[in-house]
Amino acid sequence: MTVLIFKDSKKNVELFSKETPSKYAVDFEVPDEISEAYVTTDGKSFIYRLSIGEKSTFKDSKNILKKKKTGLKSIIEITRIEKIEPLRIASFKKSGKKLGSFTNFDYVDLQSIKMSEKADYTLTLAPDIRDIIKEAKERNIEIPESLAEHLVKYKKDFSKKEFSELLDRVGKELSVNMIDPHEAVGIIAAQSIGEPGTQMTMRTFHFAGVREMNVTLGLPRLIEIVDARRTPSTPSMTVFLKKEYEENEDMVLSVVKELESTTVLDVSDIVTDISEMKLVIRPDKGKMKERLVVNDDLVSALSKVKGIVIDNSDGKDIEIRLQKESFSKLYQMQEQIKTLTIKGIPGIKRAIARIEPSSGKWVIYTQGSNLKEVLEVDEVDSNRSYTNDIIEIYNVLGVEAARNAIFNEALRTLNEQGLEVDRRHLMLVADMMTFGGSVRAVGRQGISGKKSSVLARAAFEITTKHLLRAGLIGEIDPLTGVAENIIVGQPITLGTGAVDLVYNGRRSAQK
Amino acid sequence: MSKFNVLQHELVPEHHLISKEEEDKVLKELEITRDLLPKISRSDPAIKALEEIHGPLESGRIIKIIRKSPTTGYSVYYRVIADEVFK
Repeated sequence: MTVLIFKDSKKNVELFSKETPSKYAVDFEVPDEISEAYVTTDGKSFIYRLSIGEKSTFKDSKNILKKKKTGLKSIIEITRIEKIEPLRIASFKKSGKKLGSFTNFDYVDLQSIKMSEKADYTLTLAPDIRDIIKEAKERNIEIPESLAEHLVKYKKDFSKKEFSELLDRVGKELSVNMIDPHEAVGIIAAQSIGEPGTQMTMRTFHFAGVREMNVTLGLPRLIEIVDARRTPSTPSMTVFLKKEYEENEDMVLSVVKELESTTVLDVSDIVTDISEMKLVIRPDKGKMKERLVVNDDLVSALSKVKGIVIDNSDGKDIEIRLQKESFSKLYQMQEQIKTLTIKGIPGIKRAIARIEPSSGKWVIYTQGSNLKEVLEVDEVDSNRSYTNDIIEIYNVLGVEAARNAIFNEALRTLNEQGLEVDRRHLMLVADMMTFGGSVRAVGRQGISGKKSSVLARAAFEITTKHLLRAGLIGEIDPLTGVAENIIVGQPITLGTGAVDLVYNGRRSAQK
Repeated sequence: MSKFNVLQHELVPEHHLISKEEEDKVLKELEITRDLLPKISRSDPAIKALEEIHGPLESGRIIKIIRKSPTTGYSVYYRVIADEVFK
């Protein structure tokens, strides 16, 4: 889809967003097929989407808004305006290439895909499996799909009567194994994860199969997961390529180069010439070839830095002078240029490709993580690639994906240490952490610190703070939890203690 | 307006918007009120993606989530769209 992008002042945007539809005069011509426009105010990110109706050539008439005072060429009718998530310039494409920069206005292609839901799992089940579930339901038994899949194999070995009997027995077995209502599942989960935790090695540095890359594992990693740290100590991504590129080695290596962020220092030497107040950047031919960078990339990356004059007249060394000469500024500029990204995805420090022994396909592992931008790379399979940064998954894929990530990461961490913890305990932890719609840590700042009961909170940590606060604002404790009932010496609300009995009296006596 | 479909990612379970009649049925079956359900933020990427399919969703709508569970094949979970989520 071809769309119009243009730059405008904040004042103008405010003006035409006041009322829609409105007529707006612009200083360029608009072709007929354009129906959508994106507006940027700072030249970097596009935050408004306009729907465009009629177009006409500019004639001086009343009741129109003007972009400029002079040089106006056409009038567009803005039928709708909405604020969108900021789009970067690189989201747009012009003749197949990512857009780097533009002046005033441009017509570009916007790649976007139509959202679609996953197919309903219950509808994808084989009919004979659905039959078994239905048959069991008629007998008041709820059979999980995985069990029904298993039962389907044996159905032909039994007569109809025998199979009904089998279903009944399965139902009975299921209800015996089901956890009882008001069982203290939280405490069981805590103990079940805590006990193997004591056997974990404190410091483990090992990453299955890939050399040169350290990933935190063992107890430190487990603590990191339940603490819901903003950034893990070793963020890392597992990037899968689309099916058609998975076995193409050249393609894989070019994606690796595309992902790996290259800074100026990676491909050149920076020399500070104090006597002449300039920085000299000496590109290293070998390193540049290795990272697929050409001189022009270097110059165009440098040209985005403000306040400098670039001299690349001899085509070899690049000289940089400051617009205002100052020693401290020169030093600061050197530091800034060192870390300037020429290409690649910011945050990805290294990328290594290797063949997965189990499938024989290429997989890219990275040091550093930037999920959103990696998923937007064309060759990357955006449905399978993931990161070990749970908060990043929450931000990019949502709370349900974060729950799955917490579960997967915790299970993997424990299994790698050879510890067997029932998955249900980890599921409970993951569910609790994401219950409120965001990822919360377990502990003082998270779940335990946000309990509704004052006494339960006081019993956990920082007793005086909670009691004092409760006294000040007059908090009421309804004594519904476990800890607070133990404190006051009542039966706890678990198991049989959770049930209140009401005695109605003898009916016959009332008559 | 993004270049990848959040809802199709392996980590994201099925999210389905359910009708208002079905919402009442679910709440009756669970014997709870709306505010007791687990929450999902309005600005959650999965909700944003659903909005692109179904149009704007007001808070209070219930989303049916069908998770693939390693223990029971699949399990159904409900979340209610909330303006404010715990931070």
